[in-house]
Amino acid sequence: MTGRDRPLATGELLDLLHRGHVQVEDVRPIDAYNGWRLHGEARGGHIAGARALPFKWSAYLDWIEIVRSKGLRPDAPLVVYGHDAEESEAVAGLFRSAGYGGVRVYHAFIEEWCPDPKLPMDRLARYAQLVPAEWVHRLITTGSAPEYDGSGFVVCHAHYRDTGDYEQGHIPSAVNLDTNTLESPETWNRRSPAEVRDALLALGITADTTVVLYGRFSLPDNADPFPGSSAGQIAAFRCAWIMLWAGVKDVRVLNGGMQSWLDAGFAASTAADAPRPAGRFGVEIPAAPQLAVDLPEARQILAAADANLVCVRSWPEYIGEVSGYNYIEKKGRIPGAVFAECGSDAYHMENYRNLDHTTREFGEIVELWRQVGITPDKHNAFYCGTGWRGSEAFFNAWLMGWPRVSVYDGGWFEWSADESNPIETGEPAVAIPGAPGS
Amino acid sequence: MNDERPSMASVQEEIVAEMAGLEGSLKTYAYLVELGRALQAPEPSIRQEAHAVAGCQSRVWIRAELRGGRMRISADGEAMITRGIIALLLRVLDGRTPAEILDGDLFFLDRTGLRSHLSPARGNGLAAMVQRIRSCTEEAIAAT
Repeated sequence: MTGRDRPLATGELLDLLHRGHVQVEDVRPIDAYNGWRLHGEARGGHIAGARALPFKWSAYLDWIEIVRSKGLRPDAPLVVYGHDAEESEAVAGLFRSAGYGGVRVYHAFIEEWCPDPKLPMDRLARYAQLVPAEWVHRLITTGSAPEYDGSGFVVCHAHYRDTGDYEQGHIPSAVNLDTNTLESPETWNRRSPAEVRDALLALGITADTTVVLYGRFSLPDNADPFPGSSAGQIAAFRCAWIMLWAGVKDVRVLNGGMQSWLDAGFAASTAADAPRPAGRFGVEIPAAPQLAVDLPEARQILAAADANLVCVRSWPEYIGEVSGYNYIEKKGRIPGAVFAECGSDAYHMENYRNLDHTTREFGEIVELWRQVGITPDKHNAFYCGTGWRGSEAFFNAWLMGWPRVSVYDGGWFEWSADESNPIETGEPAVAIPGAPGS
Repeated sequence: MNDERPSMASVQEEIVAEMAGLEGSLKTYAYLVELGRALQAPEPSIRQEAHAVAGCQSRVWIRAELRGGRMRISADGEAMITRGIIALLLRVLDGRTPAEILDGDLFFLDRTGLRSHLSPARGNGLAAMVQRIRSCTEEAIAAT
């Protein structure tokens, strides 16, 4: 073994980190990176400053595109670590084949780095609310799982008006959750407190229930009359936000949705699992009203120095090229809103997801937001067309533990329907960092 | 279009044979990028919202029109790997009859591993591209 190939010692890695400019890649599953202790880690999370590059992704033909999208430089030192030496070596080999020089591996993360409280680690603040498929499998097969208090759980397969999406295959024991039971099909806003309470009780959900939500991504197409029916994972985030607003104390989302369940090798069920209705919700809805913003407060936020109305829409929607929806006529944007691009259109969230549909490494989202002034010291109210994408962005900020986050529920649909509200179109006078027009 | 053109199946067999010699994902990636670089640039006007394909990890535009009984397909993409995939789809589908496009089995996507070895997001983009070509073909038939 040459010096170049020899695994780094902990002291050597510390030295490299102190000198700076070293790129550290964590090849464990994204959930371990976020904070789950999947391999006996004494502390959950990752080496502070490390980037997530799960070994699973190295099987993709477009792996190097992921590497480049993270801005990893071939001419700077790079260290790969994980829980399994073979996986780390394999990824290091891929980097070398792709022309990366100075690639080293570090094999003592589990044995030496995690147990030593003096060595810096970081994690997603509310990582336990973004769960891996293995955790859900353990929960539904044994009735217990790490960081679950045993007070009862309901797994929900979220979708929009398409029970066939549930029937074609869902996580065993999951119940069928149509977003229309929680959202008004006229305004697309959350339903009234009484309606939300009744819908949750019918699913067997009370304030004390642990709820796990997920959906299926199945090629949303704007030419389809109901593209939202194919954007199930965004639907899951939407329902998660409504449940948090209502007062469900333990709301979790399966990271990557149905894709992660299938990727993990678990079987889907086509048997309908009937909910077991509950009798009393336990708290008055909404127990967390501060998580929702409506039109009057949205206007106040626009005028406030310490708050952002955050537009989680696509660039063509933002500049008024399209409305984004086959049921919204007006095109344009809310003047003064901060643009935090979702991805390609109203049914895609590429900027907030990894290529396997798991939630993007949180540090990358923080950096995107920081560039446009979305920071945790402000109140950030996220919106989109009717609330789905805004809810996913909200959930990201909530997972990070940001103290003042909410969803402007009405979004562009509500704003543009009121003739007294101003509208802007065209490219903004000042370029937005990272946006297509910049 | 020359009627003596190899069948869709034989063009796909050629692609399968070419890609069978590539060892490892990086070699396959390099092959796709090379194809992407060589892809003839269509007219810039294709890059408009009307031709954009939703669901692709990087932006893709496809235009497919029925002329002389055959579908004439042009496409463009921002990422080189995507342009490589476009080049393969055009090699198989451009200039075919609507019936060939709608009834044809794109088996090369499975036998080369393209469908299964792309990341889920880019694999969804590939499916969206195929879907767009087929829907344009259906619309072209309906308009005649």
